[in-house]
Amino acid sequence: MAISIRLHRLLWFGIMLCPVVLAAADRARDLQLGDVRGGVVKPFASGAQASVAFFVATDCPVSNAYAPEIQRVCRDYSARGVACSLIYEDIDTTPHSSTLLQQVRGHLDEFKYTSMPAALDEDRAAAGAVKASITPTAVVVDRGGNIRYRGRIDNLYAALGKTRQQITSHDVRDALDAVLAGRPVPHPNTEPIGCFITDPALLRTHAHE
Amino acid sequence: MSRCRIFCLLALALLLVILFRPALAWPQDARGRSATTAVASGGRVTFAETIAPIVYANCVTCHRPGEAAPFSLMSYEDVAKRGALIAKVTAARYMPPWHAAHGYGEFADERRLTDAQIAAIGEWVRQGMPRGDDAKMPRLPEFADGWHLGKPDLILEMPVSYGVPAAGPDQFRNFVIPTKLAEDKWVRAVEFRPSARKVVHHAIFSWIKGGSAAARDGADGKPGFAGIGLPSLGDANSGPLGGWATGGTPAFLPEGLAGRLPAGSDFVLQIHFHLSGKPETERSLVGFYFADKAPERTLINVDAPALFSFGKGLDIAPGVKDFSVDDSVVLPVDVRAYGVTAHAHYLGKAMKADATLPDGTTRPLLWIADWDFNWQDSYRYKQPFDLPKGTRIDVKVVYDNSTDNPRNPRNPPRRVKFGLQSRDEMGAVSLMATAKTKDDEQALITFLGERARTAGQAGFKNGDLARVQQDLRVAEAPSQRITLVDRQGASLATMGDPGLFAQPAFSPDGTRVAAILTNRDSGYRNVWVYDADGKGKALTAGEEPDSTPVWSPDGRQIAYVRADADTNGIYISAADGSGRAELAYKHTDGAPLFLTDWSNAGLLCFWTGDTLYVLPLKGDRKPVQLFKGRAGRISPDGRLIAYSDNNGGGPMKTYVRPLNLSAPATEAVQVYDGTALGGLVWRADGKALTFTSLQVLQISGVWQVEIIDTPTLAVGKPQMLFKPVGVGTPAQLSNFATRDLERFVTLVPVR
Repeated sequence: MAISIRLHRLLWFGIMLCPVVLAAADRARDLQLGDVRGGVVKPFASGAQASVAFFVATDCPVSNAYAPEIQRVCRDYSARGVACSLIYEDIDTTPHSSTLLQQVRGHLDEFKYTSMPAALDEDRAAAGAVKASITPTAVVVDRGGNIRYRGRIDNLYAALGKTRQQITSHDVRDALDAVLAGRPVPHPNTEPIGCFITDPALLRTHAHE
Repeated sequence: MSRCRIFCLLALALLLVILFRPALAWPQDARGRSATTAVASGGRVTFAETIAPIVYANCVTCHRPGEAAPFSLMSYEDVAKRGALIAKVTAARYMPPWHAAHGYGEFADERRLTDAQIAAIGEWVRQGMPRGDDAKMPRLPEFADGWHLGKPDLILEMPVSYGVPAAGPDQFRNFVIPTKLAEDKWVRAVEFRPSARKVVHHAIFSWIKGGSAAARDGADGKPGFAGIGLPSLGDANSGPLGGWATGGTPAFLPEGLAGRLPAGSDFVLQIHFHLSGKPETERSLVGFYFADKAPERTLINVDAPALFSFGKGLDIAPGVKDFSVDDSVVLPVDVRAYGVTAHAHYLGKAMKADATLPDGTTRPLLWIADWDFNWQDSYRYKQPFDLPKGTRIDVKVVYDNSTDNPRNPRNPPRRVKFGLQSRDEMGAVSLMATAKTKDDEQALITFLGERARTAGQAGFKNGDLARVQQDLRVAEAPSQRITLVDRQGASLATMGDPGLFAQPAFSPDGTRVAAILTNRDSGYRNVWVYDADGKGKALTAGEEPDSTPVWSPDGRQIAYVRADADTNGIYISAADGSGRAELAYKHTDGAPLFLTDWSNAGLLCFWTGDTLYVLPLKGDRKPVQLFKGRAGRISPDGRLIAYSDNNGGGPMKTYVRPLNLSAPATEAVQVYDGTALGGLVWRADGKALTFTSLQVLQISGVWQVEIIDTPTLAVGKPQMLFKPVGVGTPAQLSNFATRDLERFVTLVPVR
């Protein structure tokens, strides 16, 4: 199918962009988003021992299925000085609608994300800064704010709708362990499986014609 | 073979016949679809004119509020937001979900987009997802609220709600609902209304004789019971009633067919839950639609292999990618085929069925090229068709037990045989058919019964039966709570959560308890240690079953037996779980081995068969064979050993005798006149011993007896302390009392 070839190309292109991602670290490091519950979120800022941001969407069944594991990762690593955040990639044809914000707040309650900083990335500033195109994607930065890992949380999903009975690769945890130990991350880029992050410009071009 | 054995085999055969068959009532098929909308090449594709008709006809049955699919696709916004995803999953034919190969058998209500429709979606996304003219948008299909088939003749509701956890492996749960029917009914359709649609992936319906699942229902402390097997016990005691999968809508059986729902039966609702990331609560409603009278013809499943491969020698080595099972069945009478289903577990990879008619022509029946356990659909033929007597049906089921199969429950892969658990395998293709004439019906039933009986006998011989029975025993055993009691049997404290325990043992200081805990989901049996606060921690893990934990005299280590195919290893682990387990001794005779003591002098005492051994942990660790007996327990000073023996087939008696590894055994003193087996604990001063008495194979009491060592070995008058509610098998116990004989650890059923 033409479309899938094109997507593959995009993906390949994305992988080729790795050095660019690292170069774009400055842009990510300074990124600041509003927390949906008040305050600000700096998902890739320097300072913490390491930071991990999870790109999710309220309606993505794959990122929803990961809610308990995201919470476990954050709980397990917070004692080791790791900062966690959630970045919602929800979208509406009407920009900045209040319903979307309410939807995210409701989702936080529903999936028991009680204390984690959470931002709505409606303009794709965060996704663009670190070239995230799928939910869920995890991005790990070290204490200097350098991007050290970007990709899947683990290998639960072999394909959409095809889950492993046993997880054999805990990629985010491995990346955090490596960063905390000052080692290189074994696989700094993995391919996430889940829902596409929609480009708002594309969506809104024809929405109200 | 004895009459009983043949009867039992028959019962088992029939039991297996009815397992896993979503037949008899029609699969509940997705709604009809509108015709393909072609896209003029190069033309502008809009949502209103091209995409909405495709989405409304093929997606919104599930993708609408309140249905199982994860999001709605009811509007332009809904669809455009997910345009790239929709293009991807339709191009990959992951959506709409349909797993039968196109063109291999002609099925009604095939959930399938045409190549042109898929291309149109791709093109629309490429063009930036234009909305188009709303005036040209088709109307949204209307969906009936409430019962699709009208008011049911009978509505059953789950008696209590079931809590579905947020995360973990998929769950298969069976709920038992009494029908309270005063007379037999004939079921034309079953309509299923789950309450937590986001997590209910599919359901399989059946009936069983009223009360026959009582032992399993709630045995683990939650409503219903786990497992993918049904609790049926025989041909007259159970039957299938169809099923439902995500996206299904109910339908009546064709041509006046109906399934029987007998008076007084229990309805069993087996639900496959997909966990969603947040907790849910399920309380389903099930509606039944009855026929006025019994149908003229019975819908019969023609399975190949028979009994879903029970007795077929399923034995899949780890790493094997293409383990293939072939089977053929030659029809003894003319039949009419209405539909087909397939079944396998997580290693299932592909299944194919073809019919070769007596004139040599062939007809494809079903081909599933990429089996997905999540989509156990029934496939209804567009037109029922006849297969004449003498038609041969060839079936091939292929399994993948390599790491390339992402669904493989085990990594690294392990040898897999036939079984009811999802980690075991089974597989078959079932043709749903009737005998073409009423006269032939009994001949067809008899023929299939004979096939099942033959398979049942093969399964008895090759060990499939024994494994199935073991699984059923675990499923039916009630959960217990580790309960500490005093010398009167009064409860003092409990430890940990309820579970399936065996062989509880106090640490020497009496503060901790080690026990074997069986995990109901995995079937694994491992050593757990419970601390003074009652908190439990697994000391061992893995599939090889562990048994009989005994504490070292200093309380720092625990020895236990770990069995694999034909050896028993005695391992020693640190009681706090640190470090690695050390293999102390490997017993190469495959007979069960029970470790019952770790003496102050560093001797492990175990029994196997009818013989006692001690294993010195110092030196070369060669076991020393003692004499006939079991449940050996060495006195604190090491001079005496207490044990039980049945003297070659008589009642069990319990004795004390001097322990001398280098001299022949000397005279033993019997501690109790009646039947007594195990439960032997020496008081720290060596002057008293506990034992358990048996009556009709049940523990009738825990006793204490005084032991007089000098000048000659003698015993006092035994004193009964209490009758325990449960302690497990007494011959396998070590320190089930504290060293002062003041407290005892018991296992109390919690139901």
